[in-house]
Amino acid sequence: MRSPRSLLGTVRGVGFFVVLGVLPWLTPAHWILNILVFTLMYAVMSSAWNLVGGFAGYPSLGHAAFFGIGAYSMNLWFEHRTLHSGYEPFLFLPVIGLFAGLVGLGVGAIAMRTRADVFAIVTITLLFVTQTLAFNLRGLTHGAQGLSIAVPPFPLATFERPFYFVLLGLLAVAMGISYGAMRSKFGLSLAAIRADEDKARGIGVRVLGVKLLAFSVSVGLTAMVGGVWAYYEGYIYPQFAVDPLVTIAIVLMTFLGGRATLWGPVIGALLLETTQQTLAYTLGGSQFYLIAYALVFLVVMLLMPQGIVPSVQDLLRRRRRRSVVDGGEPAPGADDPVDPPAHSPGLGQSMTAANGRG
Amino acid sequence: MMAALLEVEGLTKSFGSLRAVDSASFAVEDGSITALIGPNGSGKTTLFNMITGYLSPDGGHVRFGGREVTGAASGSLYGRGLTRTFQQARVFTQLTVEENLTVAAGYSWRQLFGRRLSRADRERVAVLLEEFRMSHVADLYASELSYGQRKLLEFAAVLMSQPRLVLLDEPTAGVNPVMIATMEHHIRERHGAGVTFLIVEHDMPFVMRLCDPVVVLDRGHEIFAGPPHAVQSDTRVLDAYLGS
Amino acid sequence: MHALVQGLILGILTAGVYALMASGQTLIFGVMKVVNLAQGAMVILSAYLSYQLFTSFGIDPLLAIPATTVVMFVLGVVVQLVFLRPLRAEDRSELSLLVTFAVALLLEGIMSVTWSTSVRSINTSYANSSWSVGGYQITLVRLWAFLLSIAALGILYLLLNRTRLGRAIRATVQNPESARLLGVESDRVSAIGFGLGAATAAAAGSIYGLLYPFNSGSHYDLISRLLSIVLLGGLGSIGGAVVGALIVSTSSAVVAATISPSWSEMTFFVILLLVLLVRPQGLFGTTARGAI
Repeated sequence: MRSPRSLLGTVRGVGFFVVLGVLPWLTPAHWILNILVFTLMYAVMSSAWNLVGGFAGYPSLGHAAFFGIGAYSMNLWFEHRTLHSGYEPFLFLPVIGLFAGLVGLGVGAIAMRTRADVFAIVTITLLFVTQTLAFNLRGLTHGAQGLSIAVPPFPLATFERPFYFVLLGLLAVAMGISYGAMRSKFGLSLAAIRADEDKARGIGVRVLGVKLLAFSVSVGLTAMVGGVWAYYEGYIYPQFAVDPLVTIAIVLMTFLGGRATLWGPVIGALLLETTQQTLAYTLGGSQFYLIAYALVFLVVMLLMPQGIVPSVQDLLRRRRRRSVVDGGEPAPGADDPVDPPAHSPGLGQSMTAANGRG
Repeated sequence: MMAALLEVEGLTKSFGSLRAVDSASFAVEDGSITALIGPNGSGKTTLFNMITGYLSPDGGHVRFGGREVTGAASGSLYGRGLTRTFQQARVFTQLTVEENLTVAAGYSWRQLFGRRLSRADRERVAVLLEEFRMSHVADLYASELSYGQRKLLEFAAVLMSQPRLVLLDEPTAGVNPVMIATMEHHIRERHGAGVTFLIVEHDMPFVMRLCDPVVVLDRGHEIFAGPPHAVQSDTRVLDAYLGS
Repeated sequence: MHALVQGLILGILTAGVYALMASGQTLIFGVMKVVNLAQGAMVILSAYLSYQLFTSFGIDPLLAIPATTVVMFVLGVVVQLVFLRPLRAEDRSELSLLVTFAVALLLEGIMSVTWSTSVRSINTSYANSSWSVGGYQITLVRLWAFLLSIAALGILYLLLNRTRLGRAIRATVQNPESARLLGVESDRVSAIGFGLGAATAAAAGSIYGLLYPFNSGSHYDLISRLLSIVLLGGLGSIGGAVVGALIVSTSSAVVAATISPSWSEMTFFVILLLVLLVRPQGLFGTTARGAI
């Protein structure tokens, strides 16, 4: 019953996770593993952002707020529990996700009632208000002084591994949700909302419910990453826990890789996080780093707003079409051989590959 | 006397100082193909928007199947069997033809997390595509269709809800004569199957062939309602068209 | 009671400068349907320019306003032409949010490199003079800031209502389609509209620099405040922006005076959420959501 292409997708997905799964044994260097941990963090967050920013077309600029909420929630665990094996805090992650998801539900219920502009504004405002709160609610956050968290009792040689695998698990969850969304009517609803929300509402799509669910799941996952980050870093400062640059990085990665695709956000994260680390090392001072980042962002937005995955898909599609024409077969006709990818669900296929060709 | 399926009473809408619809009242009988005509700017589309829940009226009432539905949400009216098409053929260009039909089908939460194209949906979609002779383009993106085909697709899609009343906003505007005939054929076919129509249209021969009764609107106000042959001789109607 | 009234006075006096920034922001939205997330950064950039003129040449920031407005007008036009115009129409409103966000970060980066991140303030000779009226403190600087903001708003009003350019802009705001049919060149109006928005940011920035200490990161605080004002008033409505500024500014000042300064910084967000709960389109906004 499965099409060869969907089989290929499964192989691709399994292969990807197997490679990432054995990677820690292949590269003992801590600095590489450190980069990998951060890359995974961003891959999870970009995939999560993509649910609402990509599939639904509601660009949230406030995800960093939920990252921070996750980080500070993790600290709450440490204030009430003591560490034994080091793995207990990870069990707390689902609670963090649930809590952030509920907060997201409340914010979304207000911000998602009208249009994407208003949503973007409310979310970015939420980001800055959360940052202000992180500075001001000293009882909870110790303000600008920051907090430090107990050092995890993991052996030094394999210190990164627990974090790495928890994040890998989160990535599997995030990508699994995206994959499920693309194959279900839920994803179809999101695509309809993105294309023409009024019309979608008019034909009975549960517009608000679907949007809210996407946002809630998305920020829940992001908060869980925030929790892992806090535990991994061992300290929380407001300016890093609630950082506009985190938002911009997530968005940029998703756009670079390709919105509303399964692999786009992951590819974007892989590419950019490594670039980012390089930039941070070579340019040192954070000011030049900011300029470089902003410029990369602008260039991507202006030159490749579609992103890598959809561009490649477009290219392949056109090539396939050309080879069909060259082969002398009737091009468009009763049995159109140029099969648009969107309906046969395979990994990495865009629901919106046609975007920009209409 | 048959019960009216749709009753519009004193419906009013202003945009700033402009009164787009001024106390419009008319009824659509169950089983009819009613035409709604009038000069440009007479508020027909605004009226459609208010009836189908895309715009909330400033005053007046809409009753559908005997129940008050004034100001109800577009989605809930759709669920109750009152649906419409748009003048500009609003289809989802980034989705395939098949998906455009699927997305218009039911939305229980369970369906939402089921397969994108459930077996039941697939069958209904196949039947509709067959009826509209669009099976061969099922996998194309709607953006790849001609304008006329998009109009046809939008019409087919709203039928996924098995509506009782379909409002068509200028179904023949901007499409070629062959497509007009096709459109007419499909309207008749569905009418035969028990669907009631309310059609806004400028193409008079089309209206005369297909519709009975005809309601004429001028400056947001109903000035005539009756059989098509009586329209042409009605002086108020002539005044409205020629005078403005 | 005394604290409340003092808060109200302070709030109203501060509202002027916020109204000015926000009207530029809402004007840009009205003309181009673009939410300019770089508005705050432009304000801070102009504050830095005034600071530089003051420290290097001793030019009073209030006198520097004409110069900063011209510079920022040009910058606004450039940003529009280089970054916003190339965006494709179908996803312009979505991409423009991100592009202007990136422009804000770019400006922030440039400002940090040029002036470092330490906090600056413009200390004029009159910075600390104040009057006491019936027991309430009114500082000279704030009064000046208020009056100048009102004057700048007045100029903007005249520009929009008494000139041909203004008519073209207002026509575009109301209905871009018919404005185009009437011969308004939308590209030019967009560029000029963005320039004007930036110019109001410039005037506001010179005033802001007098009132508050600032550094390159200050635009974050500004932008969230500005966006709340603009949403509160209704996107695209200049009158709404003025009312929104009054509400946000007085409520923050009153909360700061009566409860605590740290809570005042999120007062506007609570108000924003409450207003959106009741009126999703803002106080003076229309429900326009694309053509039906």
